[in-house]
Order: sequence, then C-alpha cells, then structure tokens
Amino acid sequence: MNLSRISAVILRHYFLGIHQMERFFDMFISPILMIVLWGFLTKYVQGLEASTLAAFLLGGIILWAIFEKVGTDIGVNFMFDIWDRNLIPLLATPITFLEYLTGLISISLIKILFSFVAMWIMASIFYGFQITSLGFGLALFGLNLFIFASAFGIFNISLVLRFGHQMGPLTWILPFFVQPFAAVFYPVSVLPPFFQKVSYFIPISHVFEGMREVLRSGQFSAELFWTAFILNIVYLAASISFFAYILRNILKSGRLVKVI
Amino acid sequence: MSKPILEVKNLRKNFDSFVAIDNISFSLEEGEILGFLGPNGAGKSTTIYCILGLIDPEVGEINIFGKSIKKDRSEIFKKVNYASAEFNLPWNLSLWESLLVYSRLYELSDAKIRISELLEIFEMTHLKNTPIRDLSLGLRARGNLCKALLNRPKLLLLDEPMASMDPDVVDKGINLLRQIQKEDKISILYTSHNMWEIEEVASNVIFINHGQIVASGTPLELTQKVLKLESGEPNLRDVFIHLSRAKNESK
Repeated sequence: MNLSRISAVILRHYFLGIHQMERFFDMFISPILMIVLWGFLTKYVQGLEASTLAAFLLGGIILWAIFEKVGTDIGVNFMFDIWDRNLIPLLATPITFLEYLTGLISISLIKILFSFVAMWIMASIFYGFQITSLGFGLALFGLNLFIFASAFGIFNISLVLRFGHQMGPLTWILPFFVQPFAAVFYPVSVLPPFFQKVSYFIPISHVFEGMREVLRSGQFSAELFWTAFILNIVYLAASISFFAYILRNILKSGRLVKVI
Repeated sequence: MSKPILEVKNLRKNFDSFVAIDNISFSLEEGEILGFLGPNGAGKSTTIYCILGLIDPEVGEINIFGKSIKKDRSEIFKKVNYASAEFNLPWNLSLWESLLVYSRLYELSDAKIRISELLEIFEMTHLKNTPIRDLSLGLRARGNLCKALLNRPKLLLLDEPMASMDPDVVDKGINLLRQIQKEDKISILYTSHNMWEIEEVASNVIFINHGQIVASGTPLELTQKVLKLESGEPNLRDVFIHLSRAKNESK
C-alpha cells in the first residue's frame, strides 16, 4: 500500500468535490433535507391510524413520482444531447427551440404514464391501495403535477444553457429541495409558520393537501385545485420567459455552442 | 445572374472586447465548394455558427437561397445541413436509429430508402445496427457525413468533417463528396486544417485571420499571389503558414 497513491485518489475527489455542486449536495444538503422530511413525518404520524397513514404515504409517493420523474426527465433528456455531443447538430436542423422543448416534455409525459400504471398495479396488488379511489380528482392532481414539473424542467434547462453542463446535476437534485415544503407525506399544518408560508407558494403542496382531503372525506376541493392551477400558470409563464431571456442572452454571448 | 446560395454581408461578432469576426462578406454560388481557411481561433467556426443561427452577430446579414435566416430559418434549413467531426450522432442509438431521428427532423418522406442509399454509398450498411458509441472515430465521422447528406441539401456546411479520418478514408470521403456534389449541384462551405483536402475539393478559397478575410481566390491563384511564385501547382500549406505568420507578426 502506497500512501502517496491513495492520497492522489483522495485529492482527485476533493478537487471534484469543490468543482461539482452535487458533491456538496450529497455531503450537506441531502442529509439535512432527509432529516427535515422524516422529522415532520414522524411528528405527523403519531396518533394516526395505520390504514390512513398507509393510504396517505402510498398516495403521496405515487403522486410525488409524477412530479419528480417528469421534472427530472425533461432535464436529463436534455443533458443526454449534451453528453452525446449531439446538441449542436440537432439545433442545426430546422427544429425550433419551442419544438425541441415540446418534444422533451412530451416524451416525459409518455414515460410517466407507463410508470404510473406500473405503480398503480404494484400498489393495488401488494398493498391493496387503489390510487383510482381519488376518482376524477386524480386526473386533475396529475395535471397540476405535470404542469409544475414542466415549468421545473424548463427552468433546469435554462440554468444549464446559461451556466454550462456543470449545472446538469441540479436537474435531479432540485426536486428534493421542494419536497419538504410540498407536504407530500404530511399536511402543511405540521410545518412551522414560516415554512407554511413557503409551502403556500408551491403549487404541488395544494395537490397533496387535496389528495389527503379526498382520501379522508371523499370530497374533492375545487379551491385547492384552482389555487395550484393558478400558481402553476404563473410558474410556467415565468419559466418560459426565463428560458426565452436566457436563449436571447446565450445566442448573443455565443455560450450556446460552448454548452455542446 | 442567379442569386447566390449563401450570402454573408458585413458580418461582425464580438465576444466582449474580443473581435471574433470583423466585417466579413462572401458568397457561395450554386455547385461551388468554397474552402474556408484560417488558423485556430480565426473565426471560421464562429462564422459557421452565425450561418446556422446558433450565434447572433452584432452586425451583418446572412441570406440563404435569397431568404434571411432570421425570418425563414426552419424553411431554409430543410435544404441545409451541417457536419463536424467535433460532434456525434446520439451516442447510444444505432446508426440506423440515429439517421431515422434526423430524417424526421428534416421531414423526409422517403427516410428508409434514403438512409439505405447513403449507408450503401458510405459502405456502412453492415454497421447500421451498431451503436454510435461502438464506432471508431473515422466511422463516426462517416456517419456524420451520412447525416449531412440525408436531406439532399443544397447547402452543406462542413467544419473539419474528416478531422479524425485516416488518409485512405479521407481520400474516399473526398471522392464521394465530389461525386455527390457534382450530381446534386450542392454548394459547400468547407473548413479544414488539412490543406491537401482543400486543394482536392475547393474551387475557391477564402483565408481568414483575426476575424478578417486576408486573401481569396482559387487555390492556384492564392499560391501564386501570396507566395509570389509562378508555380503551376497549388500549395495551400505554404500559403497557410505564410498568411498566419504574416498576420501575427503585423499584430
């Protein structure tokens, strides 16, 4: 065993760590977010019936998967064109940026439909949980989750275009920043007052509140749906505007051809 | 006289204080192959990216088929293509799948026939199911050329397309390009650091350095003009060295 060679490996990863944001996330932010999430969940489950809890958790994870998978998939599919060094030849074709984005969002939608069916069948067979018990509300919850995930994906792509492919890992990291405030597994009321205010401005927190409402009382809350929907329109418009701004900027600065 | 296929007028591009392209103008006629030469960082690729609409110039106008790329880009680019050895087809897709994806981007109605035809021409039919990642550098560059000819382009922008090919493959590639170019009257803007390649394919050459056109003409004219020789043979290698060093010294 040679200590110098071992230290070379450590040094190599130290340098990688200080240059790559996701290493920092792995070390500090991820454990903190996990503690926050599971801490609030633990606080909430005390005194809750096991069957209710199981339905809330399974319903929460299935709906969360819609947001997380679509949100990350849009960015990851874009990153594939960068990793493959295929982005420039692709953009040198007649395709417009709007068509390219629409294509990325569409394939994410197709993929999540398959994933959803797989999760539905698994939850139904192994845990006796019927996500379809959410009724027509399920489609409306899905719509809001999909819109927010699309806005999220477009925002991620804009960041990569502006700051380069080293921002790529944010694509699969950012959803976990949202999770504790999205009230996926526990109601917003469990959060401290300031976090509740943050949570209000996250459209999908209203989706998860709505899901628990349906599971608890069988009632679909139109108010929660519309709140989420209006917020989503604002976020979608903001992320498209941000993308257009970044695009103008990188076409001028020549950054687009450096993203590769 | 018919309108040129490509017309670049007074193009200028700065990156902060660095002048990448300094007021260059040139045009490309139907069926012409224009060698676009210059040292690294001279502004060749930046010019090509401006033509592709991937960099916005500060000043200047780019017209293809007599139309502005700012207004009619999607329509124009159905008959334009681009290849560079710097870029790949989608890494994890097979050659056939990659070309099929691109044929959709160019809205080809006879995609399968055209792909088979090109794979045959480039002697790659046996590799059609091979993932791009498993092809050698030279084969990937040939795959790029297949993609570049997929839409039967009227204008082809080739940025060092054969940079990683061995001399035998380059020779075959050039012969193929010349043959296809003659048959289909394709106009080609061709950059390369291999002067022999340019001498073989280009009818005219423009030489740029520090973003400015410093010489232009046929390969033979350039050799005679720049090197002040009575030579009957073009020698772009010496022209290249002479012009690159002269400009650098004057700077």
